[in-house]
Amino acid sequence: MTRSQYTRTEDMTARFEELLQQVRLLNALGYDSFAKGNHYSSDPFYEFQQLPLLCRLMADAPDMRLIAGIVLLALHKPLEIAEYFATMDVMSGGNLVFGAALGYRDVEYKAFDIKKGTGVKRFEQNLEAIRRLWTGERVNMKGDYFELDNASVSMPCVQNPHPPIWIGANADVAVDRAARIGDAWYISAHHRKDTLYRQVEFYKRCLEKYKKPYPTEWPLRREVYIADSREAAIDAVRPYLGLKYSTYHAWGQSGPMPQGDTLGLEFDDLLQNRFIFGNANEVAEEIIDYCRLLGTNNFITSCQWPGMPHTMVMENIEMFAKDVIPKVRQGL
Amino acid sequence: MKYGLFIRGQYRANETNMNARFEELMEQVRIAEQLGFDDLISGMHYAGYPLQQFQLIPFLSRAMAETRHMRLITGIVLLSLHKPLDIAEQLSSMDVMSGGRLVFGCGLGYREVEFKGFGTTTKERVPRLIENLEAIKKLWTEDHVNMKGSHFELSDTTLSLKPMQKPHPPLWMGANADAAVRRAAEIVDTWFINPHQRMDTIERQLQIYKKALDDFGKPFPDELPMMREIFVAETRDKAKQIARPYLEEKYKVYHQWGQDKAMPKGDDNLDLDFDELTKDRFLFGSPDEVAEQIISYEKRLGVTHMVLGMQGVGMPQSQMLDSMHLFAEHVMPQVASA
Repeated sequence: MTRSQYTRTEDMTARFEELLQQVRLLNALGYDSFAKGNHYSSDPFYEFQQLPLLCRLMADAPDMRLIAGIVLLALHKPLEIAEYFATMDVMSGGNLVFGAALGYRDVEYKAFDIKKGTGVKRFEQNLEAIRRLWTGERVNMKGDYFELDNASVSMPCVQNPHPPIWIGANADVAVDRAARIGDAWYISAHHRKDTLYRQVEFYKRCLEKYKKPYPTEWPLRREVYIADSREAAIDAVRPYLGLKYSTYHAWGQSGPMPQGDTLGLEFDDLLQNRFIFGNANEVAEEIIDYCRLLGTNNFITSCQWPGMPHTMVMENIEMFAKDVIPKVRQGL
Repeated sequence: MKYGLFIRGQYRANETNMNARFEELMEQVRIAEQLGFDDLISGMHYAGYPLQQFQLIPFLSRAMAETRHMRLITGIVLLSLHKPLDIAEQLSSMDVMSGGRLVFGCGLGYREVEFKGFGTTTKERVPRLIENLEAIKKLWTEDHVNMKGSHFELSDTTLSLKPMQKPHPPLWMGANADAAVRRAAEIVDTWFINPHQRMDTIERQLQIYKKALDDFGKPFPDELPMMREIFVAETRDKAKQIARPYLEEKYKVYHQWGQDKAMPKGDDNLDLDFDELTKDRFLFGSPDEVAEQIISYEKRLGVTHMVLGMQGVGMPQSQMLDSMHLFAEHVMPQVASA
């Protein structure tokens, strides 16, 4: 996961060159995919936009899949998103994963003219329209906020019928929706482990309710950092990861989270049962534990938070590939 | 004179291997940079049936990786369809990633299927274009923007990333009708003269443009870009013969889409036979003939910048590359020495 968020004092041209180096290293080390999230008006961070960034980085990672993780789908119009991501699927030779979720920030909803309370409806109508555009020839559909009048995407996707659709979901009602309309629930980095155990059982029941198969590919995202010990890892990332989560809490991310959980905690309480820190053995064991208990089989790690030096990121990318991935493969 | 290669990236609906076509386009981009083209430019349409087409922002973002020097021009963004925060953020990222090589071209659009798809109307397109552009300029140059538009509200909104170029990338605007030409004089840095207006129409509209610049107290722009369809071969007949089927196909589709409706009176018919259509509109010929025409654009109109569309729908890669080489190796030097 390339978050590409930085503090607002950075030289972003230099940071972009570093991002290219990171992606080249990921490709060389055999990582399967890279992901990029989506926010607008990211103050107090600098952040690259998802769509142009993924398109630019794909040139330096020819062997990797690209994950739009996630698109704030309620904000957009389906024709636009269906077209953009079809083009990306073609340009990448069929390597795209389309992730979508609701979003929660007022500043984004206002700028895209989304009235409170209409987000879910927009999200669902948009996704339905995108699926139809991706699979059909000519689409006629009148949504509440758009009309497809004999419209078709300018280009079909390479992946048939379309790229995998992963749905980000926090609250139970959103997990239910993910089971109903998505190909997989894309589990976020900030769910607590105990919440996840409960929600994964809930997700499985929802899949049964909708008579849908268990996803063949099931992604789990976690914040991960490797050092000589758990304490050393926590000390190393504290200033960067702490800033990220206090900002997301201020943005309102805790609002849509499952009952009984919040991001408005002191850093040491926040990281309990949520983030994976430790030496390579400990990190590998915890990932194995997650995958066994949850059944997830695609692990998306992020190891860069605002302000963290490039060298720390490169070292962790390398350590994870050399010391953790083989142990996880062996252990599963 | 500067030169931009316009990559239309349009293909027939029955073309099945778009990934292979994409690789060809990347080859064109690399060759264009080697041959000394100054700019890379692409356009925007949604629901392009019966054509297939790469989307502008993803395409330019990816193509950027094959370039070091060429500017990247959005030619054009159909601005009334979009939200200003979205476009301001996407283009800012592109400007930073490219080291400050972005040019923002925008315009109105005219297709019903696009307006409906984006939940807007033809009637709203002019006010939305104007307020969107105003909002984008604010977002690019100010922090904590507050602005209430007819279809968006910026509430203490600060862009995730400002453009690298200060105060912002150059602004071009495509304009067909006289009113749009006046608007271009008022609200952007230069009028991007479109590919399908006849020479006499352009000469007339250029007077309107100059008058409007005077009215708004603005100087004549340093850069006056004009787009033309072009094909270079050993002779004019050969150029026309090669390019004809591919261009005819394109213009038939644009006529069906209703492009003519957006054009100025007296020059608002693209449903002409090919000879009539190409007259005073397209650049076909030997290197000598094409160079002569470009020199005349420079002298008669003050054009500083030729944006060249060379690949009609379905034209094979080898023919396209031949024309690019002939242009760069024989036309560019002739124009330079004149």
